[in-house]
Amino acid sequence: MEDKDLSYENVRDEINKLKRSKSSQLSLVWSRFKKNKLALVGFIIVSIVVFIAIFAPVLTPYEPFDTDPFNRLKPPSWEHWVGTDAMGRDVLTRLFYGARIALIIGVLIILFEGAIGILLGIVSGFFGGFVDVIIMWVVDVLRSFPVILLAMAIAGIMGQGIYNVVIALGLVGWTTYARMVRSKILTIKNSDYVEAAYSIGESRFSVVLRYIMPNAIPTAIIMICIMMPTALIASATLSFLGVGVQPPTPSWGSMISAGRDYLIMAPWISTSAGIFIMITVLGFNFIGDGLRDALDPTTKRN
Amino acid sequence: MAKKKRYFIYRILRTIITAFGVTLITFLILHLTPGDPVKIMLGPYATEENVAALRAKYKLDQPLHIQYISWISNVLKGDFGTSIRYDQPVSELIASRAGPTLVLTGSGLLIAVVFGVLLGVMAALKRNSILDYFSTFQAMFWISMPAFWLGILLLYIFGLRLRLVPIGGMLGITSLILPVLTLGLRQEAWFARPMRAEMLEVLNQDYIKTAKAKGLKYGYVIWKHALRNALIPIITMLALRLPWIIGGSVVVEVVFSWGGLGSLLVNSVLARDYPVVQSILLLMAILVVLANLAADLLYAVIDPRIRTEG
Repeated sequence: MEDKDLSYENVRDEINKLKRSKSSQLSLVWSRFKKNKLALVGFIIVSIVVFIAIFAPVLTPYEPFDTDPFNRLKPPSWEHWVGTDAMGRDVLTRLFYGARIALIIGVLIILFEGAIGILLGIVSGFFGGFVDVIIMWVVDVLRSFPVILLAMAIAGIMGQGIYNVVIALGLVGWTTYARMVRSKILTIKNSDYVEAAYSIGESRFSVVLRYIMPNAIPTAIIMICIMMPTALIASATLSFLGVGVQPPTPSWGSMISAGRDYLIMAPWISTSAGIFIMITVLGFNFIGDGLRDALDPTTKRN
Repeated sequence: MAKKKRYFIYRILRTIITAFGVTLITFLILHLTPGDPVKIMLGPYATEENVAALRAKYKLDQPLHIQYISWISNVLKGDFGTSIRYDQPVSELIASRAGPTLVLTGSGLLIAVVFGVLLGVMAALKRNSILDYFSTFQAMFWISMPAFWLGILLLYIFGLRLRLVPIGGMLGITSLILPVLTLGLRQEAWFARPMRAEMLEVLNQDYIKTAKAKGLKYGYVIWKHALRNALIPIITMLALRLPWIIGGSVVVEVVFSWGGLGSLLVNSVLARDYPVVQSILLLMAILVVLANLAADLLYAVIDPRIRTEG
């Protein structure tokens, strides 16, 4: 023992070595993920949706708000590939712009709820004690409510609009992140390299910033991918219930809702929007599933 | 046994503390959001006197903690206030709408658990077979559809095109089919996968191998030993899924014009009838809290592994 070099620099190098072996977890997960065919399919689906969302104005000659009273409820044709809606608007154009709305809302929800959840999860896991008890109490309480109903009540009070949807779902949905991150922090907190960092006199603050955060980030990234389907479905559901994004904004949820009155005459309005939501969510679910398997090899088939 | 008693007391105390939090959240939803709830309720053309009168009626002119205490003591007495839209006690409204919701949610839950457990067990027994892949794929399929979209799709196919069932309302058992399927199919997916995983794990246990080695019949081993143990975690799963099933049933009620608590809740949110919104949310959340308690206590009672520790 005596002949070991216990100088600050040497111990720091040793700690960094340990740290690196842990943070290569993300590249390990990625290499396992690439081998999963369904995950790859999901990746392609999501890429296409992102492409559509970005290039919507180039992909279609129409505008999402352009009404045409002489072409109401027209079935699919060469001019209108997915027909027109009750106001003569081109449905495909609205679906393309809807991809924008869906992805923007989804990403905003995840950023908002993720920020709250990850922060509170880190605080809860790292400091423990009374703070932990209080935060976990709030988590327990919020999880007793059906997410969609509490969000609906909050959005209903705040009024319609994209930002109110994001705020309502974010205020309710952060608990999953907080729990995951908290349990991850507890594992990291008891690991050798954190203990070693303390032993060379690093402060609590620098331990959180330099050792605990970097190691909790892969968990957080994967959480975000896994939570995307929930965010997409929840925001579409709020639009459908009438407290979310409202017409004329082309959101998929409100398009399904509006097309409901014309199901017999013009079934293409609701069904096409439904298929778009479904395929997008399916894509994210394939990715999420692949990530989960890649993250936890014990759940893998065979 | 003392250990088990301590666990029960701890769990019940925790439930009370969580329930207290639930009442706080439902109470605060109205007060923490921006804007004056009374002005929002009455609309932009309300006179000053009307606003003041309503504020006094709901005790909104008093400090927050006084308001909470008077609200909670009324709730504990079974008085949930008066609906603004119907001018009728909220408790009466809820009582008249609870039946249809219980029927819908109960049947949906039943379908979800029965199909989920069956598919999960079969997938585990015939691992990597077509059936196993089918089970995985169908689960993925259902959870990728928002409940309202699945409902509208079923309504379109079976109600409007094939005309097999009524397209909405509550007209006997046939109008129950589509709502229950919509609810059940989406939730079944959440039971099939854990059930498969649990069953696979149990099948790998030594006591199953021992039972097989003793020469017991395959079906007997599966039924008597494996399934019974694999089903235990499903109790916890049930409690965990309950808020989602309640949330789903609300959406389904709106799609199928089902006259239960869910459509009352959505209409009350849209009409800004806050006493009704608060009361229904409170009841649903308390139900979830109690279901979680029941699941934990039941788990402790029936799981042999926990029993031997006591």
